[in-house]
Order: sequence, then C-alpha cells, then structure tokens
Amino acid sequence: MNTKNMTHGINLENLDRSQEASHIEDERLAIRVENLNLHYGPTQALFNISMGIPEHKVTAFIGPSGCGKSTLLRCFNRMNDLVDSCRVSGKITLDGENIYSKKINVAELRRKIGMVFQKPNPFPKSIYENVAYGLRIQGVKDKRRLDESVEKALKGAALWDEVKDRLQENALGLSGGQQQRLVIARAIAIEPEVLLLDEPASALDPISTLKIEELIYELKKQYTIVIVTHNMQQAARVSDYTAFLYLGEVVEFQDTNTLFTNPGEKKTEDYITGRYG
Amino acid sequence: MLSASSKQGTSEPVMTRIDHSNLLMRWRMLKDTLARHGVAVGGLGVIVAITLILVYLLWVVLPMFQSASIDKVTDYSVPGSDERTLHLAMEEQALVGLRLTDAGRVIFFNTWDGSIRKIVPLPIPDDAQITSWAAGTPARRILAVGLSNGQVLVFQHDYQIDFGEARVEGGKPVREITPQIKYPLGESLLQLDEQQRSVTRLAVQSGEEATTIVGLAGEQQIQLLNIRREESFLGDDVTLEETRAEIPRTSRGAISHLLLGKEQRNLYVLSGRDELSHYDLFDKETPSLQQHLALFGGDQRVTSLEFLTGDISLLAGSDQGRVAQLFAVPEQRDSSKRELRQIRAFDDLNGAVQDIAPEYSRKGFLAVDGEGQLGIFHTTAHRTLLTESIADTLQQVAISPRARAALLQADDRLYFYHIENEHPEISWSSLWGKVWYESYDEPEYVWQSSSSSNDHEPKLSLVPISFGTLKAAFYAMLFAIPLSIMGAIYTAHFMAPRMRQTVKPSIEIMEALPTVIIGFLAGLWLAPFLERHLPGIFSLLIIMPFGLLLVAYGFHRLPDRIRHALPEGWEAAWLIPIVLLLGYASFSASPWMEATFFGGDVRIWMSEELGISYDQRNSLVIGLAMGFAVIPTIFSIAEDAIFAVPKHLVQGSLAMGATPWQTMMRVVLLTASPGIFSGVMIGLGRAVGETMIVLMATGNTPVMDMNIFEGMRTLSANIAVEMPESEVDSTHYRVLFLAALVLFAFTFLVNTAAEIVRQRLRKRYSSL
Repeated sequence: MNTKNMTHGINLENLDRSQEASHIEDERLAIRVENLNLHYGPTQALFNISMGIPEHKVTAFIGPSGCGKSTLLRCFNRMNDLVDSCRVSGKITLDGENIYSKKINVAELRRKIGMVFQKPNPFPKSIYENVAYGLRIQGVKDKRRLDESVEKALKGAALWDEVKDRLQENALGLSGGQQQRLVIARAIAIEPEVLLLDEPASALDPISTLKIEELIYELKKQYTIVIVTHNMQQAARVSDYTAFLYLGEVVEFQDTNTLFTNPGEKKTEDYITGRYG
Repeated sequence: MLSASSKQGTSEPVMTRIDHSNLLMRWRMLKDTLARHGVAVGGLGVIVAITLILVYLLWVVLPMFQSASIDKVTDYSVPGSDERTLHLAMEEQALVGLRLTDAGRVIFFNTWDGSIRKIVPLPIPDDAQITSWAAGTPARRILAVGLSNGQVLVFQHDYQIDFGEARVEGGKPVREITPQIKYPLGESLLQLDEQQRSVTRLAVQSGEEATTIVGLAGEQQIQLLNIRREESFLGDDVTLEETRAEIPRTSRGAISHLLLGKEQRNLYVLSGRDELSHYDLFDKETPSLQQHLALFGGDQRVTSLEFLTGDISLLAGSDQGRVAQLFAVPEQRDSSKRELRQIRAFDDLNGAVQDIAPEYSRKGFLAVDGEGQLGIFHTTAHRTLLTESIADTLQQVAISPRARAALLQADDRLYFYHIENEHPEISWSSLWGKVWYESYDEPEYVWQSSSSSNDHEPKLSLVPISFGTLKAAFYAMLFAIPLSIMGAIYTAHFMAPRMRQTVKPSIEIMEALPTVIIGFLAGLWLAPFLERHLPGIFSLLIIMPFGLLLVAYGFHRLPDRIRHALPEGWEAAWLIPIVLLLGYASFSASPWMEATFFGGDVRIWMSEELGISYDQRNSLVIGLAMGFAVIPTIFSIAEDAIFAVPKHLVQGSLAMGATPWQTMMRVVLLTASPGIFSGVMIGLGRAVGETMIVLMATGNTPVMDMNIFEGMRTLSANIAVEMPESEVDSTHYRVLFLAALVLFAFTFLVNTAAEIVRQRLRKRYSSL
C-alpha cells in the first residue's frame, strides 16, 4: 500500500487482520476515559484525555518516549497512586463506575485489571506459587481449585507444556521469554476483565517476542487488552486499535489499519514514517 | 560506530595515542596487580591472624586434657633396717622422707638416694610393743602408735627449713631441712585402755584445742579418749580435760579399720568384709551410731580405707582392685537425714588395693595394688590419669604435699618417682556434665572457681556460664528482633524518603555508643528504675501496642484535612508525642497499680504468690540494654535488605490486587529474607560476645535459671572478671582460656551457619 510505511518493515499481511475490524464507534467499550488530566507535582503529564477502550480487542498506545503512554496505562489500574506527587482529575469508568471514586477498593480494582510490566518480574517463588499468588492473596486455600487455576492459566499463557514437569522449581530459573509468559499467566490466573501490557516484549529476544505476540492474539478472545509499545511493527501486528500519543495528548485514535496506512494527522504520519521518536 | 570509523580514518594521532596508552596500560596493569596482591595479602592476613588466635587458645587449653606421667628418679633398699614399715611420708619439698617402723623408730632419709638423715627412737617402754598405728590429717603430720599395754603415743613429724648462709654451693644457698619429732601432748604415754589390753586398731586426730584417740582394745572394745585444752581466762594456765567413752559395737566381725575425721566428729569403723559403721562423736561421752552399711554389698572385701582431702569423702579400696568414693547425701529428695552412698568408683587396678594416698590440696589420690600397679585418680573429674606397673608387688605409697613426688614400697625396696600431673580435675564430665560434688544433695552444674579452703574444690562446670551467655543473648534478641525488623520494614517500605534519610542514620549512630556507657546506665540507672516501676514496664507492654492501634484507628477516622496535615510517609511523626504520653502514663500509674493489685510491693507479691525471686540486676535489664546495643546492627542490615527489594516486584504484587500488607509479607520479606537473616545472626553474634553490658548489669551470678528476673554470668563477663585473679598456667587460667575457646566456637559457628543459610536463601530468593 503506502510504500513509505515499508521503511518500518510492517508486514501488510498482519495488517489484513485488523481490516476486518469495524469502526471504533461501533464497539462495545470496556473502559471509558473522560477529560483525564494528570499532574506530577507542578508538571502536567496528561492533558484532557477522552477515549474508549473497546471490549475484547487489542488497543495499542504508541508514541515517542515520555509522551505519557505508560502513564495513561497506569491510570487504568491506579498504579500512579504509588507516586506521591501524582494528582488525577477527570473520570475513568469501568463497568459504569468511576475507578477514581472513593468507594472503589484499589486492590479489588487491580484484581479486575491485570498488568504485565516491561521487565519480567516473577516473584522469587516456585512457578506454581507465582501463578497461584493472585488466588492466595484472595484467600483461596483449596488445593484442587488452585491446581486447576494454575493449569488453566499456564495453558492460557502457552507455557504449560514447557513447565508442567517442574512446577515446584524456582521461577527465576526460567528464560526471559518464559518468565514474561509466566507473569502473563499470573495475571490471567485471577481472570481479570482487562489486561494492561506495558511494553511486554521490549526486554525479550525476537523469538520470545513472537511468542508473546501470538499469545496476545489468543488472549484477546477472552480479555480486553491494552498494550503500550514503542515498536510500531508490533503495534501494527497485534492491535485492532491504535492511539498515538504526543506530549501528553492523544493525537489520533483509530483502528490500526487506518492509522498506519492513512493517518488523519500530520504528527501521526511524521511519527510513523520516522521523522521523530 | 560513527566515531570509531572517523578515528580509523586519521592514522597518525592514533599511533601516538597507542604509544601513550601503552605506558598508561602498563601503569594500569601494575596498579591492578598491586591491588590484587594487596587484597590477597590482607585477606590471608586476616585468616592467619584468626588461625593464630585459635592456635594460641588451643595451645593453652590442650595441656589440661593430658594424662599424668611419672618418671622414676631412683630406687633403693628400704633405709634403716628390715623392720616392717608402718607408714611412709614426705615433707613439703619431697627431699626428706619418713618411715615409721614397727620397732618404734622414725627413720628420716634423703628421698633421692635413700641415705639416712636421722633416726628417732620413740619413747616406748621396753616391755611394750607397737600393735597399731594411726595417722591424722596429712597436712597436720600427726601420727600415733598403740602399744600392747593399752597405751598410746601421739607425735608429730616436723621440718625446719633453713636457708642458712653457712652452706652455699655453686653460688646458690642450699636449703637445710632439719627433720624432727615433736610431742604435742607431751612425751608421756596416754593410757587409752585402763585394763591395759593391747591396742590393735587406732585412729587419731589432734588439733590446737583437742585431741581425740579411738582405739580397739583387746580385739573387742572400741575406746574413745578425748583431751581438751582449756586455757584459763586469767593467766597462761592450761588444764587438760579428759573424756572417755566406749563405742557400741554393731557387728561381730573383726574390726580392720578405724578412721576419724579431722573435725573429730565422724568415726568410721570397718568390720568383717565390708561392713562400715558411721558414728557421730559430737557428744564425746555418748557416741551415736548414724548408719551401718555394706560398702560393696558383700561382694568385695575392703582392703584399704582413707579419707579424701577435706575428710568429707571416704575412699575404700577392695581386694578386687576397685576404689570407691562415698560421701553423705540426703536419704531421699528433700530429706534432712543424710546417708553415706557410693558416688563413683574406679576399676582400673587389678590386684587388691594395698594403700591409698590422698593428695593434700586436690581431690585426687594415688593407689597401689598387690600386683605392683600404681594408679593416679581424680574423684570429681572421675578420671583415671595413669595406671602403671612399678614392681611385682607394692605395699605402701606416700605422696608429697605438693603432689609432685611419690614414694612406693615393694617388699624391701623403695621407689622414688616424680609425678607430672598438673590438671587432674579437668575432664569432659567435670566441664560439661552434672557433677556430684562433696556435700551437694545431687549432681549439679556449678561454676565456683575459687573456694574458701582446700577442703572444697573449685567447681569448673562451663554449663552455667554457657547457659548464661545464651540466656542473655536470648532475652536481648527477644527485645531486639521484633523492634528492629518491624522498624526496618516501616522505614524501608512506608516512610517518606526525607524522613528515612534522618531516621536511618540516627539509629545507626546508636551503634557507635560505647557499650561501657550502655552497661553503666543499665546497671546504675535502668536496673533500679525497673525495680521501682516494675508494674509500669509490664503495663507498658500491654498499653503501648493496643494504645498505638487505637490511635491509628482514630487517626484513620479523622477528617482528611487533619490527616493530610503532614505529607504521606510522615505519619510516624504523629506517634512521637503519643509514645511519650503512653510511656509517661504507664510509669505514673505504676505506683498506683503496685499499691492496688500487688499489695504495695510487686517483688514481694511475686515471690509469695508466684514463687519467682527478683534480682535487681536481671535478664530484663540485660534484654533491654543489650537489645538496645544490638538493634542498630539488625536494623541497619535488615533495612538495607528490605529497601533493596526491586520495586518491580512490589509493583507486580500490587498490580495483582495485593494489599501493601500482603505485598510486604509475601513478597518483600521473602525476597529480603537473606539480608534479614544475616542481620539477625550478626546481632546474635554480637549479643553472645558482648562483655561490658553483661559485666556491669547482670550481677554476674552463675545460676542456671531461665527466670527473667534473675541474673546470669556469661562466658565473656566471666573471663573479664576472673582472668586478672587467676594464676598463670593454673587449671583455672586454662579453663578461662577454654571458655574463650568456647565463645570463639559459639560465634564462629553462629556466623558460619548464618553465612551458609544466607547463601542458600540468596540463591533461592534473591531476585534480579
């Protein structure tokens, strides 16, 4: 199609997938963001953001470093609360409830919105205990239920066949790609509604990256997925919708195919053709 | 990439740079080599220093566990004549020997060659023969002979040592030892048996004030004669008061031994094969039988009976080579009536025990048997230090007062031996086992390194002081571990960074406080303060945690505006006035509580109601003071470990929906566990080795009691207290070194175990 996009080596076959996707206006929304502003102390990091995250689709946030894409992602499960100076105004609704309302139990919210970080962060426990962690902190003690959930989650994260014989071994003995899939298994073991992936493959080798991407494709059948990436090929490969953020603002939010092939904004086009970033 | 290619483009500057860097390279290599070797030498130096300390400790300690050795100096035919030897003895220097013969002559001779120094004939009537003899306590050198006419002669061998100017040989003055015989009761004979029957068995003790003689007259009657010196109040007039009595017989068997204790109160009569009767002579006119027992249950015949030094224990040698030690112990638990019982026995001799020579100042003895064997034993350590065959047979043995030499008689030859036996009282059982000491009701662990007299031995069990060390460390850790670890968790995990920057160094600076100051304050201020405010301390233990929880709940319910008056992470600052207030309230309520609940004095209440005794310097004081000294060590290491837990693990857990508390307990503490563990272990090592605080605030009582209100003595404090007063190379000195070695082993083991566990934990839980 557009030849200048080829400089980024985007595989157009993969893009075909998202062509089936209908327009964002027709999607059912899992999360609704309204007039979100975020300050770190005196500096504003997010400006008046309003958008909807469609259900059971993969939404990618792209943009240059420091544009606020990770910050926006962390607003969805209130991980920004951990930063002392962070203040948030505006609304984010999940299941019709504002997650920044006082009635919301943050731990409960985070159970519904799982998150996977850039660097694999398995706990220094056995593979089994890592996956069972989310259930254990909710007080699940029944061995059968734990066994079932662990197996289901590991199968869901396409890790079961590789680790089923060594569930009691330390998770730190796994390779980086396996660790990241273990972390995904840990996140889906508690069956969240939304899965936030913060540059999940940036610390991995190409083959592990490919596996993670395949996994994301599988997972969207069950979960609403939001992924932050600065790898545009990846965004193009795995996502249905893509938001381009720049300097704390959403410049453009489109279905992925349209955004990469026919961007509506000059800034988007400049970014995806490599003018800056 | 870009800059590299540009450098390659210009060749000349690169060349000069290489030359330059070559020099630089060499210098760098040299520095690297120096540093590497310096570090290696330093590290090896530390290992060598520690090894040398260990070697030195072992070098001082090991001689204690050596057996005794003997060297034959010479042997010669019995000096004097072929008269039968009744008794052998030596003076202090073991230069002059004494031989009492049945012909009534005392022969003094040089021990090293057998030449005769002096022969003293005893003033015995011509028509009487010696039919028996007796020796008093060896240290007093009293001897007595009983005659065929019922008379008894009491005499004393004495030695005048003269460093006379007259004889100087080879530039050294030669000691001139002049032996002599004295008659403390006069040269006149005492008529023990008024019917003039021959005295066939005899026992004697003579002191400053009184002399008691017990003899068997005519093979039938045991007679007692007590002579008291009464000095008149007015002048030098001395009157002698005689008391006579007859000892009632308990068995028909022939009497073979009479033995009288040096207090002239306990009389032991051995009859038949092994029947021993014990009489109390407190009232000299009416001796009373205390006990009658068969020493060896009738199995063995008693061939020799002596007191161990101190005259508390009896040593009975049998015809089968056994030597048994007996002393009086309570009949049953807590009963006041005491009975003789065999406490321990030595079975290392083969032939019938012929003679037993107790040491003068230690609880050891020599024994010889009919097969010519000499045995050296120590009773308390239950140790056979030596058995050696000397001749075909042996009849007599004498030991020098300093236990450095022995005289042994085999038929008509005398053997003079030098004895090397420095530390007989040490054995594994006397150091680490329960030992039944003389006059004790039951076997016990006792540390009592010096005694009032030679009659009581030093008791050198390391168990009470090792126990004290562990007890002090236990209470200190009980106080320090929860506070320091919880403090570390809060500081590392919840506190605002700015506040942490102030709090952490402040706690670490506590470590720089000299322990002598902590000990001084603990002993002189804290101990009396605790004693006066005991209810306050315990109410504080209850009020403080509950009060803090209540305040925290109240704070949680306060309006946001007040709650956020201090920034996040500074909430702990609110606690400062509250902790002070709760502490003040507890201590002010203390006198009131004492008056209301404990009848005015909690210490009396405790000892009466609970049976707990209270020392002012106790484990509670130590727990607080030493805990205070250990807290910074544990806190600092644990805080570093918790703070070093990767943030992405914490975030990972929180993102899973875990509460901060769950994250703390399940992820942070687990990951930090190697560091926390090593902090605790290093703190324990410090508590075990700590000296000044325990020295100044424990009371240094070596008791074995877990009671928090009683003191203890630790290994380290014990060394500090006793080392200055112990004689170099004495057993006490070496045991103190052994205590140091034990302390060394304690800390070494704790640290090694800590390191191994830490490495394993780190392999398991440290996260990248």
